[in-house]
Amino acid sequence: MPAADPKAKPEMTKHPQIPPVAVTAYQCVSAAGEDVEALYNSLIANRSCLQPLRLFDIPFKTVVGEVTSPLPNIRQSLKAYDCRNARLALKALNQGEFRSDVERAIANYGALRVGLVLGTSTSGIYDSENAYAHFLSDGIMPSDFHFMQIQTAQATAEFLQRELELQGPCYGISTACSSSAKALGAAQRLIMSDFCDAVLVAGVDSLCRLTLRGFHSLQLISPEACRPMDINRRGINIGEGAALLLLERQSADNTARPRLLAVGESSDAHHMSAPHPEGTGAVLAMTQALRLADREVGDVDYINLHATASILNDQADAKAINNLFPNPPPCSGVKGLLGHTLGAAGAVEAVVSLLALERGFLPGTCGLEQADPNCPCPVIATPRLECAPKLVLSNSFGFGGNNASVLLEVA
Amino acid sequence: MECMSLLGFGACAPDPEFRISLPFPAFDIDRDTIPPLLRRRTSQATQMAFSAATVAYRQAQRSPEALPSVFASVAGEIQTTDLLCTELVKPAGIISPSVFHNSVQNTAAGYWSITQQCQQPTSALAAGCDTFAMALLEAWCQLTCLGGELLLVCYDENWPKYLAPGQGQPAFACALVLAAGAVEDSILHIGRPHLGTDIFPHAWESLVASMPVLAAIPLLSLAATGGETQIIPVSPLATGWQAKISPSSTMLGSS
Repeated sequence: MPAADPKAKPEMTKHPQIPPVAVTAYQCVSAAGEDVEALYNSLIANRSCLQPLRLFDIPFKTVVGEVTSPLPNIRQSLKAYDCRNARLALKALNQGEFRSDVERAIANYGALRVGLVLGTSTSGIYDSENAYAHFLSDGIMPSDFHFMQIQTAQATAEFLQRELELQGPCYGISTACSSSAKALGAAQRLIMSDFCDAVLVAGVDSLCRLTLRGFHSLQLISPEACRPMDINRRGINIGEGAALLLLERQSADNTARPRLLAVGESSDAHHMSAPHPEGTGAVLAMTQALRLADREVGDVDYINLHATASILNDQADAKAINNLFPNPPPCSGVKGLLGHTLGAAGAVEAVVSLLALERGFLPGTCGLEQADPNCPCPVIATPRLECAPKLVLSNSFGFGGNNASVLLEVA
Repeated sequence: MECMSLLGFGACAPDPEFRISLPFPAFDIDRDTIPPLLRRRTSQATQMAFSAATVAYRQAQRSPEALPSVFASVAGEIQTTDLLCTELVKPAGIISPSVFHNSVQNTAAGYWSITQQCQQPTSALAAGCDTFAMALLEAWCQLTCLGGELLLVCYDENWPKYLAPGQGQPAFACALVLAAGAVEDSILHIGRPHLGTDIFPHAWESLVASMPVLAAIPLLSLAATGGETQIIPVSPLATGWQAKISPSSTMLGSS
């Protein structure tokens, strides 16, 4: 690669393989608070929102990114869908102007032309766990347990679809921690393939015993606030959240909105629960995102790392970037603020990336003090407020070696 | 893209009585399709998915490591998840690391990519009773946007009976190797999925209500037996997804 100054490069016509889509609205409920403003403030302050778990008891010490403010009630006609996951999604939907933005899309395009793709890893399983406690003591599942409407991977997608009276295609993608990054890709394809003019992408996951104790069994849970990319890291923290993004076909009405250029996807073909040590799958995902968008590695101004604070994950992430980028741009990871929101992480961190693009800053890496020398990429510990990135790559890597890389561009 | 082409298909139905009732060839789980080290560790769901996928890519004469894949299942690894949920209730319940990572919805997809050394993208999706329809839609979108070929696997193992009484049987998996556009000598040309009011075959109504991935039956029947070009439902819903299917003339009369 020529080491030319990217700013001196002449503007060239791009020929993306897949047309960009406008991100016309986004919202996020997380441990940082109930909307994107709370998330933005937390990113600027770079202060951890992790705290001891309140929702249920676990037999070990850790901190989590829990949503502690009250969650809204599910309306009576949709009670079958009532679970923590659906309530988190509803809370995000009710923030700011998001609901009215979706209603505007319905009015513009018709309900049949507005789709919904959800990314989640555990759906409503927190409520299933409570139902199982009932089942093991009483021998029957509680009468308000509805398997298809609570536990299956599209349950909260159907809830949102009915809540908003959408009639377009509706499904859930569940590929562990890359779920909602892949949902963004599926949504873009639904628009390009002309099934939809707008798609609501949701990334929603709630805290539950299954993931807390599951990751603990893998010896990956940190007893203290996690420290991504730090030499003294002790593992990951789990978080919860709901991020919603409204994607629309590009038009004269949305030229002022940031764009989703492409989502690159790949498989490690290596191990169910550990990434490829050299990050070969991650390289493929990032390469595919850039190729689909007809962008060069030198065009990327900032990389939002997956950076879970597990040793293998951090090192694979960094090595992949180092292998692909001759001069990597500043990189950082936000899981020290919010915890790892698992299936929601792709959408949550797409929102983080959009805030960086629209408000002109680079997030820091909360928890990072001494960089791991085996993570060969330029990780920034504190936010940079004087930087205004134009093109951002956001990485999500999940169990099964399932990788997705989301490429977003400023308006 | 005018249509997508079916290059190969496979079906797996472990229950022998159910299997012989199907209007297309279906097989029991073929343990030879699963590496020996994985046999004890993988669920009925993953083993069925592997079995059906292997029949499909062999019939299509394609290399599995070259095919992106879409795995679709209503309940995914529900037996493994059920085991974990039961253990989580017990104060001294044991959560095994491998059982945990084998509970994710993309378990079959992940093991498939590892076993086949396939670095192509793989997805895992669910859409309730529209799971087969949305898998077909996702396949259509991928082929429209990216071209080429892909493997679609749609499967569900038996669900624990108390989770959804009256639903979740019989276990079934099917796999389709699909290509963008009209490929000569392919088995079927599948038109763009669209919403319509074609009624799901009455004979399969109650079974598909119990096991939603059986919505693939009309398409698989046509793939096996050929016939006239027709619009067939890919969803059991009254107003549901359907597609125009044109069997290739070379398949007429064969089974």
